Amino acid sequence: MIDFFRTLFEHVPLWAPRLIPATGVTILITASSFALALVLALILELFRSLKIRVIDRLIGGYVEVIRALPILAVLYLIYFGLPGVGILLSPFAAATIGLGVVYSTYLAEVLRAGVDALHRGQREAALAVGMTPMALFRLIILPQAVRVMLPPLLVSLVSLLKDSSICALIAVSELTLIGRVMMSQYFLPLHVFVLIGALYFSIAWPMSLFVRWLEPRLNRGRRMAAAGEP
Amino acid sequence: MIESLSYPLGFVIPLLVAAGVTIKVSVGAFVLAILLGLVLASIRFFVPSPIVRIPIAIYVEIFRNVPSLTHLFIIFFGLAYMGVRLGSISAAVIGLGLIGAAMLADVFRAGFEAIHVGQREAGLAVGMSPRMVFRHIILPQTWRVTLPPIGNYAVQVIKDTSLVAAIAAPEIMFTARNLVVNTFETTLVYGIAAGLYLLICIPLSRAIRRLEQHMAIPR
Repeated sequence: MIDFFRTLFEHVPLWAPRLIPATGVTILITASSFALALVLALILELFRSLKIRVIDRLIGGYVEVIRALPILAVLYLIYFGLPGVGILLSPFAAATIGLGVVYSTYLAEVLRAGVDALHRGQREAALAVGMTPMALFRLIILPQAVRVMLPPLLVSLVSLLKDSSICALIAVSELTLIGRVMMSQYFLPLHVFVLIGALYFSIAWPMSLFVRWLEPRLNRGRRMAAAGEP
Repeated sequence: MIESLSYPLGFVIPLLVAAGVTIKVSVGAFVLAILLGLVLASIRFFVPSPIVRIPIAIYVEIFRNVPSLTHLFIIFFGLAYMGVRLGSISAAVIGLGLIGAAMLADVFRAGFEAIHVGQREAGLAVGMSPRMVFRHIILPQTWRVTLPPIGNYAVQVIKDTSLVAAIAAPEIMFTARNLVVNTFETTLVYGIAAGLYLLICIPLSRAIRRLEQHMAIPR
């Protein structure tokens, strides 16, 4: 055990110059695919809000198919499969698109829950008392929607961070890939991956704790309102 | 041997065999996750002592906040380095099972907490032992509350078995990759592989949704 940590700490200065940029790539890919997923989710929900049957069906089918596929299969199809039809993407672009497409189906559900949580009467009431649509959105809809959506969005962000490790398998030089390279270079698999696990943990855990801290606080007013009802 | 078979069949047959491995690993990991998750949640429920709770909490937090691939690499390559050699399939089952157990431990805990405390008190008041309360009152109701997340997990674990390709377990994605290396038919092979996942996961998630509707607690 002591031996393990001695070897580990001996190697940390040697590994840090490669692990730090790799952590940056992991964060970058998480951020870019989360942004893409949010945009796609928004588009999905906008189309769904039209309430046109054919579009609903198409979106439902899209969500069902994407949800039934492992992320690795989606990434392989995009990175290795699309060149077969003439579309060549860099590993980073393929990873962003793949993770973005997969997570858009989850985020769309979160957005829908946020919108559904608002009673329609509020919108009508706000317009009736003379609020502009902009004020309605900023003062009535947004604060309530954020309250419902923020915790699940952050939970998705943590999962996305973890799933970004899968991009190692399509040669994105993020943490896990660098770990594999270092593993075969130094023959210290346990040390390398314990360190890498610790790096992921040091990013993901604070976010998880934050969600757990945030959730009851966001719900406070609402629970009191519910308790006040007869 | 694969090359000698006629063109599409040469891809489909090895991938179907691989789908068998995928299902085997999924079932193994699922059973391990349910059993271990239930045991951990029950221990947390019965034993208030921090000596027991803290190690469980650490286990759950570590397994929920570190990517599955990292765990698989530690279990497969890390343990081999320490002298414990696991086959790729057993490493896959143990790894995915441990990850799932951490998730389901939280699911079951939420399930136990969803049962009103009054029911527990009523059970104890009519003279049931705490074990009887757990077995006859809490557990049967917990299943109904926890079925949706367990159902999601069942589909999730099938998808997650694709990750064990990275530790060379011969499941669908690993086999597909080998076929591609031999034949260069990337689009076709990965297309068939994706199709196999659809064939497994879509009927399963539809069946689970049916079961959920059937088991839902009427309001």
